[in-house]
Amino acid sequence: MTDFPWLLKGRCYRLGHNVPHAGGVIPDRLITSREFDPRKLIPHLFEETDPGFHERARAGDVIVTGRKFGMGPKMNGYIAMQALGLGLVCESMPYLAYRAAIGCGVRVLTDCAGIIDLCETGDALEVDFLSGRFVNHTRDVQKQFSPLPEALREIVEVGGNVGWLKQWWEKQQGATT
Amino acid sequence: MGMTAVERVLARTTGRNVVAPGDVVQPDPDFIMIHDGLVRGARRELDGLGITRLAAPEKVVMVTDHEVIYGSARAAEFGVINRNAAKAWGVGQFFDVGRGGHGHIFPMESGMLLPGMFYFDNDRHSTNAGAIGAFGFRMGAEISRVLATGTNWVTVPKTVRIVLKGRLKPQVYARDVGFYIARLIRTGMLDFDLDYRVVEFAGDIDALGLAERTALCNSPTELGAYGVFFPPSQGILEFAAARAKRAFAPVYADADAAYEKEAVLAIDDIEPQISLPGGIETSVDIGEAAGQPVDHAFIGSCGSGMYEDLAIAAAFLKGRAVAPGVRLFVAPGSEQTTRRMAADGLLNVFLEAGAILLPAGCGPCNDAVVGPLHAGEVSISTASNSNAGRFGSKQARLYLGSPATVAASAVTGAITDPRTVAT
Repeated sequence: MTDFPWLLKGRCYRLGHNVPHAGGVIPDRLITSREFDPRKLIPHLFEETDPGFHERARAGDVIVTGRKFGMGPKMNGYIAMQALGLGLVCESMPYLAYRAAIGCGVRVLTDCAGIIDLCETGDALEVDFLSGRFVNHTRDVQKQFSPLPEALREIVEVGGNVGWLKQWWEKQQGATT
Repeated sequence: MGMTAVERVLARTTGRNVVAPGDVVQPDPDFIMIHDGLVRGARRELDGLGITRLAAPEKVVMVTDHEVIYGSARAAEFGVINRNAAKAWGVGQFFDVGRGGHGHIFPMESGMLLPGMFYFDNDRHSTNAGAIGAFGFRMGAEISRVLATGTNWVTVPKTVRIVLKGRLKPQVYARDVGFYIARLIRTGMLDFDLDYRVVEFAGDIDALGLAERTALCNSPTELGAYGVFFPPSQGILEFAAARAKRAFAPVYADADAAYEKEAVLAIDDIEPQISLPGGIETSVDIGEAAGQPVDHAFIGSCGSGMYEDLAIAAAFLKGRAVAPGVRLFVAPGSEQTTRRMAADGLLNVFLEAGAILLPAGCGPCNDAVVGPLHAGEVSISTASNSNAGRFGSKQARLYLGSPATVAASAVTGAITDPRTVAT
């Protein structure tokens, strides 16, 4: 086991159902201009619905959402979340949105039915992505969800697809020399 | 509990006895497809990581269908990048400009994609593979990991089943059924969520040929389906066997397979459908859209680009002319189909009617690299979807119909019920 921080302790940032990636998570112009630089994306995370979010967010905070979060197979918003050290817990995500979040190295749990009824923005949360254990200290609530599948943990630990591929190639090179 | 078709295929390609929805697996594909629009990005990513060797270059199929005619200096540059990549990577099968045709059509027609197979593709319309009884899984930009390592992780999808019952009325086609199913889902008449689902068709399907199956495999993609599957009929098996480039073993769902949901759909009373601008799920009976003048028409795309589709359209164009003020583009799905049309006279029907022949491939259906629309113009086509901006201007209005409806509309100059035009 690595020392990767799979257990996040931070504040809740609660969103509702059907938040689309374009506009809801990050402005569409950054998606269409194919901006993938985390430094340029961070100031715009949730900008259209909550200006200044990035200044208040702290590593370890957890975004909690309703159903169908992040519609559209886009990566830009997840790049910013990963760079800020945020976790993501959703009632559901379209599959390609989930895949994009994993591919960007975001700690994410999905299919967490009823999660938005268990917390409010600002609550003190503790989420273990390896076990699926969710604790809301502010409301003294605990709940067990499905953990992040084991096969995907390595991708998240190395920061996403590019990091995973880099590490894989280095291992290949090591094996052949 | 038995397995659905996709579960059977994923079990075979992962060396397991059983897989179930939700399992994360890494299948060993029969081949790996990448199209001309994505090679540049994949090459750049892999080169950036110093990865110069692919895991299984002999399995890689590179197709040229998104921009076949270079309409810009940029496209010509992409062409050079693609040819260089094919050479540097030692790609097993490279279909350059004018070779092969549409990557989601010609592999089935030429015996490369066969019943029971599984492959990775960068493009989502790999759902077409279900027409021949195979699966192609969309990887998007993650195709680079497949190229480098030979596989990638996938979650075993849930399967829903749609049982078709009855017979279509004359001049109603598989494409109409696809639009109709999307409409039922939008309106809640069919309580299915197709996000990352595989749709298995069953029921009165034995008589459906490859073109009809392809049309029906195409539409669910627009609602998020990851795969669509037709159990191959005897006719499909014979078609595949006559062309097969290698041995194959068809796959069928087990009789006791578990489906997330199942619905029976009576198809006897379905009317020709028109998808209104904005998405295929907006479809209405043609009576509600008939009379809408059009400026632009297009027959082709991965949903309606087979010889049989073009033959249906030709019946409406024979001895007629495309209406004044309308431009009609035709893009066969494969070079083989273009040659067949030239040989049997079908091509002349289109040319004499005043249609413009495009090379085999996506035609305007890829970001309108050919045949775009200006703001305010109206199109009727067999494109895969009618989202704003698919044919250029976001202010253009895109309607969809079957090949028969599009051809009938092209000769009248307005959206026309094909049953009102004699053939």
